[in-house]
Amino acid sequence: MLSRTADNLFWMSRYVERAENVGRILLAASRMANIPGADEGVSNEWESALAAAAARASFAETGQEPTAENVFEFLAFSEANPSSIRNCLRLARTNARAVRGALTLDTWEAINGAWLELHRYRTDDVSPSGLNRFIAWVKEVSLRVDGSAYRTMLRNDAYWFSRLGVYLERAENTARILDVKYHVLLPDSEPVGGGLDYFQWSAILRSVSALTAYHWVYRDSFKPWLIADLLILREEMPRSLASCYANLTVFLDELARTYGRQGDSQRHARRIYAQLRNARTDDIFQSGLHEFLTEFLAENNRLGAAITDQYLT
Amino acid sequence: MRIHVRHETAYHYASPAKYIIQKLRLSPRSHDGQHIRRWRIEVDQDCRLMETSDAFGNIVHSFTLMGAFDSLSILVEGEVETEETSGVVRGTAERLPLELYLRETDLTEPNADIEAYARKFVRDDGNRLSMLHDMLVDLHEHITFDTNRTDSGTTAADAFALKHGVCQDFSHIFIAAARSLGLPARYIGGYLVQQNGVATSEAGHAWAEAHIPDLGWVGFDPSNGVCITDGYVRVAVGLDYLGAAPVRGSQVGGQSEDLKVAVHTENMAAQQ
Repeated sequence: MLSRTADNLFWMSRYVERAENVGRILLAASRMANIPGADEGVSNEWESALAAAAARASFAETGQEPTAENVFEFLAFSEANPSSIRNCLRLARTNARAVRGALTLDTWEAINGAWLELHRYRTDDVSPSGLNRFIAWVKEVSLRVDGSAYRTMLRNDAYWFSRLGVYLERAENTARILDVKYHVLLPDSEPVGGGLDYFQWSAILRSVSALTAYHWVYRDSFKPWLIADLLILREEMPRSLASCYANLTVFLDELARTYGRQGDSQRHARRIYAQLRNARTDDIFQSGLHEFLTEFLAENNRLGAAITDQYLT
Repeated sequence: MRIHVRHETAYHYASPAKYIIQKLRLSPRSHDGQHIRRWRIEVDQDCRLMETSDAFGNIVHSFTLMGAFDSLSILVEGEVETEETSGVVRGTAERLPLELYLRETDLTEPNADIEAYARKFVRDDGNRLSMLHDMLVDLHEHITFDTNRTDSGTTAADAFALKHGVCQDFSHIFIAAARSLGLPARYIGGYLVQQNGVATSEAGHAWAEAHIPDLGWVGFDPSNGVCITDGYVRVAVGLDYLGAAPVRGSQVGGQSEDLKVAVHTENMAAQQ
């Protein structure tokens, strides 16, 4: 397979995954902003949404106030923001079109259809119901693309490259969401168990669809260290860092087996996976959750660079 | 290196065993230079394997059986991908302070002979790595590998006096000597595959790790006189053999048990 083709497949699925994650971040922010008393805090929910989507700097360049309208417009539809949902879907489609032959009809139609349907959504409707409708659609697009790939694509290098994009992006997002909110996970930030904390914690879980999972796993009220445990170390939680890396090592192994040789990206992914398997939440909190997440994000980027070096260029 | 491991432990009881309890330290963890691709444990009787981890971070499976059993077999099978790290072991699950690995146990208590032997290697430049390397090579030359002279309860001091032993005894002597010099050391149970392919034996392998400042844990295999390579699969850590033993258990009834162990390791790359 040409490395350019691999690159297109990788970024196609990575952009779809990113669109979904930006959508989830917006949804969590809108929910939080509607809680009475949320505005009195130090941070504005829409600002933390920008931070979680790694778009704070590019938003500042527009010179706008971080209001609900502006942030929603910027993260969802702006052409100036390279990671807006609109741009993600556009880039996913551009990448998919370049490798149309490597995709199944279903996968291509899911991506192309999403791009065509996107124009139906108006940019000036920022009411909670309008936002909800839009985000629900974005999540559905991601499900359709993911599901059609899962159900129809041949299990060969094309499929594996597309999975690498998904899990690398997902790991980055989970880590970023945790990092933006890490201060509410620290035991001494607020009067512990305060009403606002409760909503903050449930917002973190909700933004990665883990609210019900939390109750199933721990059968307990919200405890910050358990939330961190669930989203970092629990392999059975599909958006946790450990689960993303379990998948990354599997798909990188498949590539190594197919091509008969392995390199930096396999070694790197295995090392991070082993670290996650051997880590304990106590130790992570002891040496600093923020430091751990910063280090993880740097490692995750390094893995992205290693994959690019080894396969995509 | 891609290593395939198949380790079968089979018991046959002349009279049926009524109640059996077993603890298995048979599941390796991944760390830098060791990646577990897949790993499974199969017990041939119906039972529930409970997974926990012990104080050293080893994955421990335990199960109990009630009924009447003529035989019991535990099969472990898996595939591990390893990388050469020049003997340095990093990224492991470290749960305990270093000082704990200075603790003596019954099996690794040094006597005057071992202490004197260890002191021979102390260097003027204080280089601990070279010191342990010298000891590693010397032990390998000094002691003869022999499966008949010692058993699983032989202490380091006895094996040192006999000048014969198996990998367990080599490791115990090395650990006792290193600890007597104030170096944290520990016992490692695992598997060794030959570079050129397939090996079948009646036991797994064992070696020692010593902690060197600035470098971390380093694996020394005194029975082969080398530091560990990518041919080693590291499974369990302990202060001595008893702490890292692959299978420990007891039963009610089941007199004159007959135990057979078959360990099969294979370098999969060499087979292709």
